[in-house]
Amino acid sequence: MKERVSIKFGGQSGQGINSLGKFVSKALKKLGYHTFAYREYPSIIRGGYASYQIDFSPSDVLSPTKKTNILVCIAQEALEKYLFTVKKNGVIFHSVKDFKLNDNAKEYIEKNKIKIVYIDTLAISEQQKAPKIMGNMVILGSIWKVLGLDIKELVKVVLQYFAQKEGIDLEAEKRCLLAGYNLDEIKDDILKGLPKAKDKKWGNSLVITGNQAIALGAISAGCRAYYAYPMTPATSILEVLGSTYEKTGILVKQAESEITAVQMVMGSMYMGARAFTATSGGGFDLMTESISCSSMTEIPLVIVLGQRAGPGTGVPTWTGSSDLNVALYSGHGEFPRCVISASDACDSYTLIQDAFNISETYQIPVILLTEKHIAESIFNLKSLPKPKEIKRGLVKNGKKRYEYTKSGISPRWIPKEGTTTYLTNSDEHNQLGVSSEDETDIVNMSEKRMRKLISLKNHLPEPKYYGPKNPTVVFVGMGSCKNAVIDAMKQSKKRIGFLHYQYIYPLRAEKIIQFAKEKVKIVLIENNQSNGLGKLIKSESNFYISNTINKFDGRPFFVDDILEYLKQWK
Amino acid sequence: MEVDLNSYNTNVKNTWCPGCGNYNIHMALKKALVDLEKHPSEVVLSFDIGCNGNGGDKIEGFRVKGLHGRAIPFAVGCHLANRKMTVIADIGDGGCLHEGIDHLIHAIRSNYDITLLIHNNENFALTTGQITSTTKKGKDMYGFPNGKTEGNINIGELVLSLNPSFYAKGYSNDPIQLTEIIKSGVKHKGFSVIEIIQMCPTYNPENSAEFLNSKISKVEVTDDISLARKRVVDNKKTYTGVIYQNKKIKDYYSLLKNRKDKDTELVNEVKTYGVSNILNDLD
Repeated sequence: MKERVSIKFGGQSGQGINSLGKFVSKALKKLGYHTFAYREYPSIIRGGYASYQIDFSPSDVLSPTKKTNILVCIAQEALEKYLFTVKKNGVIFHSVKDFKLNDNAKEYIEKNKIKIVYIDTLAISEQQKAPKIMGNMVILGSIWKVLGLDIKELVKVVLQYFAQKEGIDLEAEKRCLLAGYNLDEIKDDILKGLPKAKDKKWGNSLVITGNQAIALGAISAGCRAYYAYPMTPATSILEVLGSTYEKTGILVKQAESEITAVQMVMGSMYMGARAFTATSGGGFDLMTESISCSSMTEIPLVIVLGQRAGPGTGVPTWTGSSDLNVALYSGHGEFPRCVISASDACDSYTLIQDAFNISETYQIPVILLTEKHIAESIFNLKSLPKPKEIKRGLVKNGKKRYEYTKSGISPRWIPKEGTTTYLTNSDEHNQLGVSSEDETDIVNMSEKRMRKLISLKNHLPEPKYYGPKNPTVVFVGMGSCKNAVIDAMKQSKKRIGFLHYQYIYPLRAEKIIQFAKEKVKIVLIENNQSNGLGKLIKSESNFYISNTINKFDGRPFFVDDILEYLKQWK
Repeated sequence: MEVDLNSYNTNVKNTWCPGCGNYNIHMALKKALVDLEKHPSEVVLSFDIGCNGNGGDKIEGFRVKGLHGRAIPFAVGCHLANRKMTVIADIGDGGCLHEGIDHLIHAIRSNYDITLLIHNNENFALTTGQITSTTKKGKDMYGFPNGKTEGNINIGELVLSLNPSFYAKGYSNDPIQLTEIIKSGVKHKGFSVIEIIQMCPTYNPENSAEFLNSKISKVEVTDDISLARKRVVDNKKTYTGVIYQNKKIKDYYSLLKNRKDKDTELVNEVKTYGVSNILNDLD
């Protein structure tokens, strides 16, 4: 029996493969499977090739596989590209008329014993007196047959969705689904050994993306304003907060630039509201002067940095984890900051709440890292964790806004009628905020600010360890690579562990130093070329991790990548 | 709360040149806020850097001295978070027309209910006299003995081309009129752009009081935009006063559908929220 199964829908951008993927995810979930969905798409509106891949299993699935059991393609370019990502004994369904295999493809198909089924969706939808677009439903019905699953559940999901849209012929949708399901050439034994769902625990679970989780976390943390400039893969946070704004009452503003967005956030945070912004690498670069200013003025600031691949404009819709360096080292001068890193929807939800608490309590900029692969992949959670308690570190009123304290944290109070006024100053200043060029003031104030970093470090948790006791191999990493390693643990006979860094800076190093002393193989895993995390660990713990697995082709780590890597050790 | 001019004074020493227009601008600003019965704790002043920004510790209120060119978006963030505060952005011609000109343009089109004071002394003065887009052509400036190669920006013309709701022009040598202008600007519900011709005896002595006095002509407010536009391009005269006001354009916040029935400000709403009502929408 297979532990997990994967289906990939491939087509042109704009052909509706996301909807197909969503229907399948939802129906699988209702039938009791745990799902994970991974999207690839080009940075264009029409054409190219895009995919929506669903991995599912009766037990948890957190990451995609490189190769899928089933490929469904409704456009030629996608078929040509993705044909080579089908597993041995897999099946390809497609609706590309007169599709011919080239020699390479023919060899691959034969060698891997892959079945190809052509479905004339156009003809069938016409027979069913349905519009052409419903050909998608025909192909959807066919897959369901192959999976051997209850068609009623799928029909219900599809009809429920279209019932909300106007002018859709629901009966025609149903006819097309059933026509695909009942096709003679489709047998439900093509794909043998589909794992049976054990219970229905996932039936009412949540299916959300990392970005949706960030938006939800921000809402629950009492964030009242969102200012942003669109940039993939951060843009969908704007979509969630914008489309729910009537219910939440949150002020959602698309600013004229990233600089405007970050300055508006600082303005609102200064006044005592909670606000944040999200962007990707290029937009983040524009914000860096403000990050430095936030730390100097001690105005709280929360920025979500959604990473994508490459420098410059890079590969806009693909993933990676190569921006840790800008998160850590951007901005002029020496100043305290905090960098945290999400790995899935669950911690995206909690870490954005942490970001607000840390930023307000320590009066510093907090950068929450995410990746395209987290931001836009669709995770399956039983439910959201309990919201974190709001911690703001505010006092009602005070005297010296930049008072020297042991912790480095000075009293901060909300500017409002009747409270003591103060000067918030980006120039170096004295305890009252008045500009100062006096050498003692400069040293004392610089040290006061930096003390906050020590106070914060003592409060941040150590990295979390996943895996068995006495592992033989321990991967160390941050972000989405955690999910591929945890999925690999279930499939590998080796004793694998994962040390997960969520709180990146200031870095806690006790645990990693402890591992370094044990007889265990330690492997640094990074979705980038130059090991930003590894370098930080070296500088903070003096422990250099020489074994590394890197990937920087715009794709995330697949489970297969980890299993393949482990083969080198018997 | 009782308020008088002393409420706005600080004990920080002035560091501007003798004869600098900033003395009168500050006096007019303080007087306007006192006349409007605003206590310093009800006022947020968002300063740019430069000579104007060095005024941040010379006036009371919740003052922020931020980054070059960014006084406007910071002020907007403050205003949107708590509209009970009077928010004023204070910036020079360099910060406003160079580093941060996009903010000016978008703030006009967004019509946020804040006031903007542009100290126009026709140069970057604190850094000892560099060229700005309001510097007179041919004038010997820092690094450019033969003056600038580029053209000028006429602030009034720029602002009036953007369908503003309020544009005024004051003069630092006429603090009484400037006080009235600032009062009108603060009272106006929308983005009030106030350009101030600022004396700069050190780096712009050509703009002497005699020269300016001979050109200035005071006008009454109009809502006729073509008349206002004619006035700002007049080379022979410099018109001061509220040059243009349109009360029909609504301010940004009051147009936000989801904030219409709220009687609280964003700052009053920070607490834990349940998200179950939103989860269904996402599914």
